Amino acid sequence: STSTKMSANGVAAHCCETPGCNAEAKLQCPTCIKLNIQGSFFCSQNCFKGYWESHKLRHKKPRSPWFSEQLDQYLQYFPGYAYFKRAVTQFKNISGISDSSTPYNPWPYYAFSGSLRPYPQTTKKEVPPSIGRPDYADDPNGFPHSEQKVRGAANIKCLSDEEKEGMRVACKLAREVLDEGVKVADIGVATDEIDRVVHEAAIERECYPSPLNYHGFPKSCCTSVNEVICHGIPDMRPLQNGDICNIDVTVYHRNFHGDLNETLFIGEVSSIAKNLVKTTWECLQKSIEIVKPGVKYREVGSLIQKHAHSQGFSVVRSYCGHGIHQLFHTAPSVPHYAKNKAVGVMKPGHTFTIEPMISEGTWKDEQWPDNWTAVTADGKLSAQFEETLLVTDTGVEVLTQRRDRNGQPYFMD
Amino acid sequence: MGDEDDIPMLVGEDDEDETIPELVKVEDKPRVPLTILTGYLGAGKTTLLNYILKEQHNKKIAVILNEFGEGSSMEKSLSIGHEGDLFEEWLELRNGCLCCSVKDKGVKAIENLMRKRGKFDYILLETTGLADPGPIASIFWMDRQLGSDLYLDGIITVLDAKYAEKVGRSRVLLAPTSSTFMLLKDSRNLNEKKPEGVVNEAVKQVALADLLIINKTDLVDETQLKAVTDLVSTINGSAHMVYTQRCRIDLNKLLDLHAYDKFDNDLFERSLSTRFFDGASHLDQRVQTVTVEVEGSMSPSSMDYFIDVLLWDRSLTNSAGEPVNIYRMKGIVSMIAESQRFMLQVVQQLYELEPIGYWEIDSPRTCKFVLIGENLEQEKIDDLLRTCVTLSSEFS
Repeated sequence: STSTKMSANGVAAHCCETPGCNAEAKLQCPTCIKLNIQGSFFCSQNCFKGYWESHKLRHKKPRSPWFSEQLDQYLQYFPGYAYFKRAVTQFKNISGISDSSTPYNPWPYYAFSGSLRPYPQTTKKEVPPSIGRPDYADDPNGFPHSEQKVRGAANIKCLSDEEKEGMRVACKLAREVLDEGVKVADIGVATDEIDRVVHEAAIERECYPSPLNYHGFPKSCCTSVNEVICHGIPDMRPLQNGDICNIDVTVYHRNFHGDLNETLFIGEVSSIAKNLVKTTWECLQKSIEIVKPGVKYREVGSLIQKHAHSQGFSVVRSYCGHGIHQLFHTAPSVPHYAKNKAVGVMKPGHTFTIEPMISEGTWKDEQWPDNWTAVTADGKLSAQFEETLLVTDTGVEVLTQRRDRNGQPYFMD
Repeated sequence: MGDEDDIPMLVGEDDEDETIPELVKVEDKPRVPLTILTGYLGAGKTTLLNYILKEQHNKKIAVILNEFGEGSSMEKSLSIGHEGDLFEEWLELRNGCLCCSVKDKGVKAIENLMRKRGKFDYILLETTGLADPGPIASIFWMDRQLGSDLYLDGIITVLDAKYAEKVGRSRVLLAPTSSTFMLLKDSRNLNEKKPEGVVNEAVKQVALADLLIINKTDLVDETQLKAVTDLVSTINGSAHMVYTQRCRIDLNKLLDLHAYDKFDNDLFERSLSTRFFDGASHLDQRVQTVTVEVEGSMSPSSMDYFIDVLLWDRSLTNSAGEPVNIYRMKGIVSMIAESQRFMLQVVQQLYELEPIGYWEIDSPRTCKFVLIGENLEQEKIDDLLRTCVTLSSEFS
């Protein structure tokens, strides 16, 4: 059979998860399968036993006392259950029975993976022409021609001292703008309102809000609630008690972009949400700690995945960190999962983001028909944190660092 | 900042003393191979495609014409051959943020289509005549972790045996002292491209091929055929070569190349020896195949250094000071204190080092590589490798 032929000369489809063991893995942990935890491949029962004390932490997640969630977890075991759930959701959607009380239904035949629904959006905002804009701001499709020019070229720019200063200023302003957005985020406040505040705060600081019209994005920041992984479009939905909400701000100031994001608690959130957000933040902090000249970009993912998995969570793989300076998104590409083929080694003068997206359940993502909103495939929660970093001669400078409250994340305030 | 006590862990009944379960066999969903088909206009790609679709009528084969270009087109057509029928389908290229997205939109479009219409048996991606297959290969050679439904099987280049005369944009000189041909770089006409100086696309297509189909052999005589073979082998000494007329080929040779996840030892051994043939010294090719083999093992940091110098930093040069530019590299490496053999696969700047089988006990540990690229010199690569390798008599 082809599979045995492959194992003699070919790369194994799966590699044993025990740290340090590189053997081909043809076995899988049945508990993980039952709990719908992806991966968990091992080469042998013995190797698995050796790693058991650490591995079993993946099974141990805070379980809700709610019967429906336990039943849901049990029913995952039955084939067809996922489809059944989706069919019910779709039926609810079409027939107007919805978890949200909005009649707005732009995609009647779309089967949402979770309970979040889109709300109407307000009209596109303008930025005064006196503020310097990136090339895509005025392109009819928002196409970033300058980025396209260097696309594929993997050489990573080393910034001059002047450019580094430009980045420092842009990033400091980005943090200030995010501060403003965070201040208004609360129960009953629509994400559109957060966007309005962010938009105005950027303009006040002579900044163009980078997301606006980037590849046609309609708003000035991304607001990602609950199961939305990233790129959520601000709309008229009011934040609810128990939501987690990520606000992703990027500003363009005097030819440089600064990019950061944080996930906030809205009101009282569940214990699993707390753990998820805390773990995600820790993933970012741990990866920042290893940034220094000589480190390969592909190592970032190993660290993040290790920590996320230790808490029973998964790492979103479809989106990655990116180089940033005069261009919004450019080389290097920084995946957040282990065993990736990221090109490049960190050098003094490199500027880039690390922005891990960590999910409660599956790592898989889906996209809403708006072609932007990324959601978890199972409708469970996802959190994210991001900073823009500069590699120094000896380590790293967190350009978007929060200056007050000892640099702690907002959810800890 | 709180500690673990902040977050109470609600424990279910089976959490208390979880016993170690018995592992179960992994159920792998089969992935769909994608082959990149390249070659100059008129070489015979279309003939080959039609032949495949006709001969493999019991398989569901998708043919995509033209690579995914840049720009903001929303749809791309794709032909599916099945049961002798050929029908059109549409790939939705969804725009939106491609920026921080790891998968190319073309990949996502194919995956979405397969989700709706079922999986293909294989996918053939036919590029335009002047395409550089390198970046296309990079798109489809995805991290295993992404769990994509498709994988890159290999690159097939179709050549017209009357090659030298048919090539449009390159300039060709007949070397006065031998019957071999030289292809010159066409820097004066195509200077909009890469800063290192331009290499003719045809050369790149040959260099990156895993399978070279030398077609229209009925139109050339033996001397010409040998000349083309020699030329092409010098550029790429590490590809399978097949001679055809009207692209009639044994289809088993075409499929399951596994060029990126398997190491073909026979092919490697052959490439070690086929470099040495009459007239080799007359060829002054900018793009060549070089093989190196050194006894010993590498450490993770020496491997990092080797990769960095060759692929990323590009600090290695030839004797004339011109920088080495690797297109493709394959190797089997011995790593210190590892009983497994490691396979290195490289295309452009992407590399992967994966365990693949075990060293036989008491067999000598070696590191061997075949490299295809610009400005390669055997001695220079050999020297570099020797600085990265340590000899050791015993490993655990």
